[in-house]
Amino acid sequence: MADKPSTTPSSPPTTVSRPLSEALLNDKWDRCLSSLLIRSSIGAGFGIVFSFLLFRRRSWPVWTGLGFGAGRAYEECDNSFKRAATPTKDGLRVIRP
Amino acid sequence: MLRAALLRSRGAPLRVLGSAQGAQWQPVAQRFVLAQNSTSRRAFASKNPDETVLPGSKSSKASVETAPPDPRLSPANGSPSQLDGQPVPRTPPSPAEVKAARSPSIPPTQPPTGTGTASVAPPIKPRKKRRPLRFLLLTALLSALGYAGGVYYALVSDNFHDFFTEYVPFGEDAVGYFEEREFRKRFQPAGSQPRLYQQVRGESKVNIPERSGVSSKLVDEATRKSSDLGAKGRHMSALEDPSAGKSKPAPAAPVTPEAQKAAPESTSHALLPTDNASREKTIPAAETPKAEAAKPVQLPLIDHINIEGAEEAVIQDVVKVVNDIIAVVNADNATGKYSTTIQKAKESIAKVREDLIAAKVTTERNTEEQLKALHSDFDAAAKEFLRRQDEAIREVEAKWRDEYESERELLSKSYQDKLRWELDIAEKLHEQKLKNERLSLAIGLNDQFAESVRSHVESERNGRLGRLSELEADVKELEKLTGEWNSVVDSNLQTQHLIVAVEAVRSNIERADRPRPFINELVALKEVASNDPVVNAAIASINPAAYQKGIPTPAQLIDRFRRVSAEVRKAALLPEHAGVASHVASLAMSKLMFKKQGLPVGDDVESILTRTEALLEEGNLDRAAREMNGLKGWAKTLSNDWVGECRKVLEVRQALDVIATEARLKSLLVD
Repeated sequence: MADKPSTTPSSPPTTVSRPLSEALLNDKWDRCLSSLLIRSSIGAGFGIVFSFLLFRRRSWPVWTGLGFGAGRAYEECDNSFKRAATPTKDGLRVIRP
Repeated sequence: MLRAALLRSRGAPLRVLGSAQGAQWQPVAQRFVLAQNSTSRRAFASKNPDETVLPGSKSSKASVETAPPDPRLSPANGSPSQLDGQPVPRTPPSPAEVKAARSPSIPPTQPPTGTGTASVAPPIKPRKKRRPLRFLLLTALLSALGYAGGVYYALVSDNFHDFFTEYVPFGEDAVGYFEEREFRKRFQPAGSQPRLYQQVRGESKVNIPERSGVSSKLVDEATRKSSDLGAKGRHMSALEDPSAGKSKPAPAAPVTPEAQKAAPESTSHALLPTDNASREKTIPAAETPKAEAAKPVQLPLIDHINIEGAEEAVIQDVVKVVNDIIAVVNADNATGKYSTTIQKAKESIAKVREDLIAAKVTTERNTEEQLKALHSDFDAAAKEFLRRQDEAIREVEAKWRDEYESERELLSKSYQDKLRWELDIAEKLHEQKLKNERLSLAIGLNDQFAESVRSHVESERNGRLGRLSELEADVKELEKLTGEWNSVVDSNLQTQHLIVAVEAVRSNIERADRPRPFINELVALKEVASNDPVVNAAIASINPAAYQKGIPTPAQLIDRFRRVSAEVRKAALLPEHAGVASHVASLAMSKLMFKKQGLPVGDDVESILTRTEALLEEGNLDRAAREMNGLKGWAKTLSNDWVGECRKVLEVRQALDVIATEARLKSLLVD
């Protein structure tokens, strides 16, 4: 009993398991940007490979791949933002009118 | 540049060029052929980069060099003199397929037109245009067919109907249209169909005549005549009417007015004089022709009513006999023959009558005499009989009186005996009863005496014992009072402890410069309260996380609010279901917003935030939390944690308040 108060001040009040609610949006943004970076670079890489293999070093496959990657990242990000606003419907049965 | 590349890349794999185009097309064709012949990739790669000529490039190769001679074609062709624009060899090479592919698609030859790529395209155009057109047509046709098939199948199969109407655009309308048509065909719509159902179906009409059913009607003359029961007919007599026998219509017509008049009056009033007269008239009228024809003279009948001595039955009989005879004679028309005999008979009837009267008178006289004699005899006999009767009665009377006297004496004696005996018995009984009564009275008196003695003794004893028990009750009351006072003192002490514990918890919370668990203080509080339901409920209402990890201080809350409000401002302009674009826009726009001051009115995020800040500065945590709770959408999501913290703090404060109030109440209730 007596030793407990001495230990408690060392522990920070932050919760580790759950992110803070005010940080939710920033987390999303971080994830989006990173995914944008990764996906567009992957797309561009594929474009480069194709341009070398099939299209005789044209530059457009690279741009196309980049676009695909960026577009995919944008779509995912958009979806994540939209999904976060409404409660999730996973595991719920959807009944059409 | 890009367009040309696209064009080339599209054209190359699709078609085997006839190589009638410019020199720049040649390598492509060559490449394709090579690929078809399945030469090694490495060979292709090694050869290709040197020979590739980019369109529009001003390399010397493009303008000067024409198609290099095919290594395999050259031995067959041999002559390079045809380099003036027709690089296609006339005679095909050995692979048959190459020839087959080339020969049908030889376009009109054209000289190369320099670097411009546009001039390369025109020769392909007409075919290109036609093809897509055909393709489009075919696709449209096929899709229409497929759609029609889908609609038909949807009409047939229920399962497919569901699928089709759900997923195919306009499928529901199309299927609905056909179903409607089917329905119309089967059931005529109510509007177009007249109400008269039968007649539409072509069934025969039924006309109901104007005078149908039962109705009143006047009886016409002819029918009345035929149904008149008063008229003469078969129903009156079975004999055939002589006049009617000859001609049928005749009897109906010549009905005399006399008869017509008589007919309705007749029957029921037959006895009336007028009727008699008319009948006498009619009957002779009917009979006269026959009588006159036979004989004018007839014998008169004897009047049997006005005859002398008509009351005599014998005379009546005789008259009747004679009348019958006369009637027979009259009927026989033999009046003349029997008239004298009849006259004589009439006279003899008068004689018989006189004789009868004379005989009647003599008989009456004789009977009177005999009656008188009989009367006198009867009187004498009656007197004698009465005398004898009186004597007999007297004798019997005397005998009965004697018998009665003796019998009465006997009876009186026996009754007196009986009476004496019964009196004796009654006397004895009475004496016995009196004795018994006396005895029972003595016993009762004894009992009463004993009872009274006992009751006296008892009452005396109870008086003393009652005083003792009173004393005992007093002692008990005193004990209780002291006990109560003890409990009062105890409860007072307890409430004091409770208040102290509550104050300890409160001071611990308020004085902490950082979140610190106060579970020990709470445990102490609970022990002190000793199962007070109110205190238990208040402690149970506190979130366990609050006393396990402590609650944030007001300073911390305000600090965190600053961070939260910055984030919330960023998301202030977000619409519902916002995507990336709106998030970006909100982020950018929120930087441009003006900050408000004081306590602004409004439901928008900015004013809510400003109000909350002001309230926090005042120290009104409760209202601040309420304000923040009114946010919506992303703003609410972002501020969730902060509101939760606030709630925790408020819960703890409220619970402590409740406990303190309870303690105060207890201390008040004790007295």
